[in-house]
Amino acid sequence: MKKDDFLELLAETMDTEEELNEDMNLEDIEEYDSIAILSLMSMYDEMGVKVTPNDFKNLEKVSDLIKLAGDKIE
Amino acid sequence: MAKLHFENIKISGIVTTTGDKKVTIEEEASNYGYNEKMVKRLKKRMGFNSRYVVSDDNICTSDLCIQSSEVIFEKFDKSDVEALIFVTQTPDYKAPSTAIIMADRLGLGNDVIAYDINLGCSGFINGLLNAYTLINSGLKKVLLCVGDVASKFAYYKDKNLTPLMGDAGSAILIEKKEGFNADFVLHSDGGGYKHLIVPDGGCRNPFNEESLKEIETEEGIRRGIDMYMNGGEIFNFTIKVVPKMFDELFEYAKISKDEIDYFVLHQANKYILQNISKRLEIDEDKLPMDTMTIYGNQNSASIPGTINGFLEKEFQNRKKVVFAGFGIGLSWGACVVDLENVYTPKIRRYNEKR
Repeated sequence: MKKDDFLELLAETMDTEEELNEDMNLEDIEEYDSIAILSLMSMYDEMGVKVTPNDFKNLEKVSDLIKLAGDKIE
Repeated sequence: MAKLHFENIKISGIVTTTGDKKVTIEEEASNYGYNEKMVKRLKKRMGFNSRYVVSDDNICTSDLCIQSSEVIFEKFDKSDVEALIFVTQTPDYKAPSTAIIMADRLGLGNDVIAYDINLGCSGFINGLLNAYTLINSGLKKVLLCVGDVASKFAYYKDKNLTPLMGDAGSAILIEKKEGFNADFVLHSDGGGYKHLIVPDGGCRNPFNEESLKEIETEEGIRRGIDMYMNGGEIFNFTIKVVPKMFDELFEYAKISKDEIDYFVLHQANKYILQNISKRLEIDEDKLPMDTMTIYGNQNSASIPGTINGFLEKEFQNRKKVVFAGFGIGLSWGACVVDLENVYTPKIRRYNEKR
């Protein structure tokens, strides 16, 4: 998946209207909460990326969510 | 995976009783520290709305199940009932088994087998399996009672667990009858026991003065004697095991998804059920998912609760139905059964007049 498409998918999954970019702090995204993390876990699972709730601890930026997707992002 | 096949056993009646008091997420938002915006988000995304709980601390799961059982016995003769199985995490006493007391209250006589099973979300499937096994071994009729008064273990300030939970008790009558088959698949994984647990009050961590002290974490406020849930771990477990279990069931029972009329799943919450229905590509009309939104997550009573709440007119003509439960233990199981001419009156509240 292309990075821009992934950023759009992230926004849709988190149910946020903000336009995401790599440098954004996750804590500045109002919708990034425990519900969003459930949705993100499901999203990664559907992409074939194995994640656990612990993977979401200590994430700081949107770029960390991209890193979590590993080689699924071009 | 344990796999079991049964022939000539029928579910004849399903009755569910909920707690007598309705509460809404708006009324309770301040207990959890939720602002208006968060309440809106939880309603939209997770399907939070209302739940039915008992109005009095003295009302136990057994009382809800007794009301359900009495409705069953208005329709069916109780003299052939040879066993009462009670699946619950909220028994009347630590000992003895509540089922024995219930059998006496229901006037089932001294010849019945009666015992409790300690299970939650997967409890209906495991309870049904026990009932089928007893019928298969020669008993005429088995009364299965399932449910929980979750109010007893969900702390009022626990924003993570409590807004999900509802109180309910169901009674299900199972008997011998030609032409009705069932297939079961079941699993358990004790490696995940810490993700849903009441830590204090058993032998491992006996009740002590610390047990009543509030513990505050990111996930909410609760005490040692209350249920703890790691929502992320449970969600992750569910989306991984449930779709796989359906494949196992279809293969074992030699049926295809399209032959199934209804999928009645444990009503953890609407969000999980939407997720499962999407993954399995099941039409949402065949997979009811509003039970938690209206009544709350009824633990082991959530599958019968969904039938009496939303499908009470559907099981007169023959249908093939999948039941699936998943959660505390961790424990998960599913079965496919034939349903026809089942007595399924509309769900009722405790002490509600008809």
